[in-house]
Amino acid sequence: MPLISTRALTKRYPGVTALDGLSLELEPGIIGLVGANGAGKSTLIKILLGLLPPTEGDASVLDLDTATQGARIRELVGYMPEHDSLPPDVSATEFVSHMARVSGLPAGAARERTADVLRHVGLYEERYRPIGGYSTGMKQRVKLAQALVHDPRLLFLDEPTNGLDPAGRDEMLALIERIGREFGIAVIVASHLLGEIERVATWLVAIDAGRLLQTAPLESFTGQTGQLLIEIEEPAEDLAQRLAIRGYDVRAVGRTLLVDLTAADADARAGIYDAVRDEAVDADLALVRIEAGRHQLEDLFRDGGADDRVA
Amino acid sequence: MTASPEQTGTIYDIGYRSYDGPRMGRRGAIGAIVAAGLRASFGLGRSGRSKIIPWGAVILGLLPAGVAVAIRVLVGDIVDLYSYENYVWGIGGLLPIFIAAQAPELVVNDLRHRVLPLYFSRPIGRFDYVAAKLIALSLALLSITLVPVLVLFLGRVLAADDLVGAFGDELGALPAIFGSGILHAVVLASLGLAICSLPARRAYAAGAVLAVFLIGGVIGGTLEEVGGGLQAYAPFTNPLSILDGTRQWLFGGGVAESPVTGADVPLEVYGLASALLLAVSLAVLAIRYRRVTT
Repeated sequence: MPLISTRALTKRYPGVTALDGLSLELEPGIIGLVGANGAGKSTLIKILLGLLPPTEGDASVLDLDTATQGARIRELVGYMPEHDSLPPDVSATEFVSHMARVSGLPAGAARERTADVLRHVGLYEERYRPIGGYSTGMKQRVKLAQALVHDPRLLFLDEPTNGLDPAGRDEMLALIERIGREFGIAVIVASHLLGEIERVATWLVAIDAGRLLQTAPLESFTGQTGQLLIEIEEPAEDLAQRLAIRGYDVRAVGRTLLVDLTAADADARAGIYDAVRDEAVDADLALVRIEAGRHQLEDLFRDGGADDRVA
Repeated sequence: MTASPEQTGTIYDIGYRSYDGPRMGRRGAIGAIVAAGLRASFGLGRSGRSKIIPWGAVILGLLPAGVAVAIRVLVGDIVDLYSYENYVWGIGGLLPIFIAAQAPELVVNDLRHRVLPLYFSRPIGRFDYVAAKLIALSLALLSITLVPVLVLFLGRVLAADDLVGAFGDELGALPAIFGSGILHAVVLASLGLAICSLPARRAYAAGAVLAVFLIGGVIGGTLEEVGGGLQAYAPFTNPLSILDGTRQWLFGGGVAESPVTGADVPLEVYGLASALLLAVSLAVLAIRYRRVTT
């Protein structure tokens, strides 16, 4: 049974096409839904929650039809919206346990799971204080807790790291990873930040202007390109020449060198790091970093995105 | 900031536990919203300050019934301070206060702080939410429109020498007591929530509720003073007199102080006006909540 399947899903608003013939088949896992702002991510989530009827096409979540079984779907999924959505004058405990009951849990179970879930998202003493006094990071945790409290089979997270500082982002991403891997709950994370999605997702769905760019396992997006990237503190021409003499295919751009190893033999591949070190020492250059070049998710949008469509 | 587990005593991380128990779906969800709405209506689980107005109103509403019952027990049935018919009219002033103070608690914050998407991503529809809030406030208002009259009823029965006989005598009044109480509660709850669903803050919502009742009351009073043909319009400026007229139409029994008495308008018109008031309130709520984006 697929987690989610959509067929030619289209949503048109007057003057705008938010989704354009989207066909998807997704299996459980941590699924990154990437696209620029306005690409149709939130529209897709609302259709999958059964809150928005598609103009054309159909969709099912957990084998339930979004058009006719929306309420049943919403019993089994959790949703964390992008925007602020918490009342300031109640405590996290009170709010999350109320939301558990609105999800259909009996009072006792709601109380118990609220305590569990708030602990899992990392809210301790402060959970008894009114939410209005919380930091953005704590509020995001409460939003996540209310989406998790009824033990959903699938979690929709819309831009979960919005407004967080770097440390907060790391914690949120770690939490998402834990939910997906340890708790065994399927997660769909919508984000416009490709670098973040890359860190937690196992599968990636890229959409742009309502159209599907690609749906594939993460590795195929970010696999190694067979290029080595070297950055030094001085202009790179000198080092480039030295490496070229050793028989490497090198390109220098400013202070950065790109060594193409795709055509190199095994010895040359294995020896490149030593060669770089030795030549850098010889020429008295300061190495900043050496990194295996990867496909960047951004390439996806450059290559498969808007240009294609115009053509 | 975040207290570490060591500081707070022993917290055993038992890992994530899944939930296999019952899920009560839409009915459970509506029940939960009604229950939370009732608690909010009486300031339960909130600060002591937020209990003052609702409980003050309930106690003041019960007071005349208590006094009447006490007089009956002590002195006997020589005077009837209050009848079943004029009781709600007599304490009617408490209703706008209760609604102004408590109805905003039920709806304003969910709208203002965009909590509704969290509700709508659960097994309810948006009109289930509104219905649940209406039920909650209606039930809360029964504490003023019905409970004191029932106390009066019980007092009359229990104060009588012949309990069974008195119960038989008074029994006939029960349908009117319940009918009037429910009529007032439902129409006023709808009106109150409709008004409160529009302003952005609770204080504005409270002000709007008071304005509707007070301004209506003042205009009505003026029209009554002026008299003549204008007096017929006086009851229709105030939701409470419209409801009193409707009560008279349905269950009979005039109230001397009510502008309905002086207006000389066929009682059916009040029924129509009540229906209109209810319909407009529900339409406002429907439009308001249809516009909420999820």
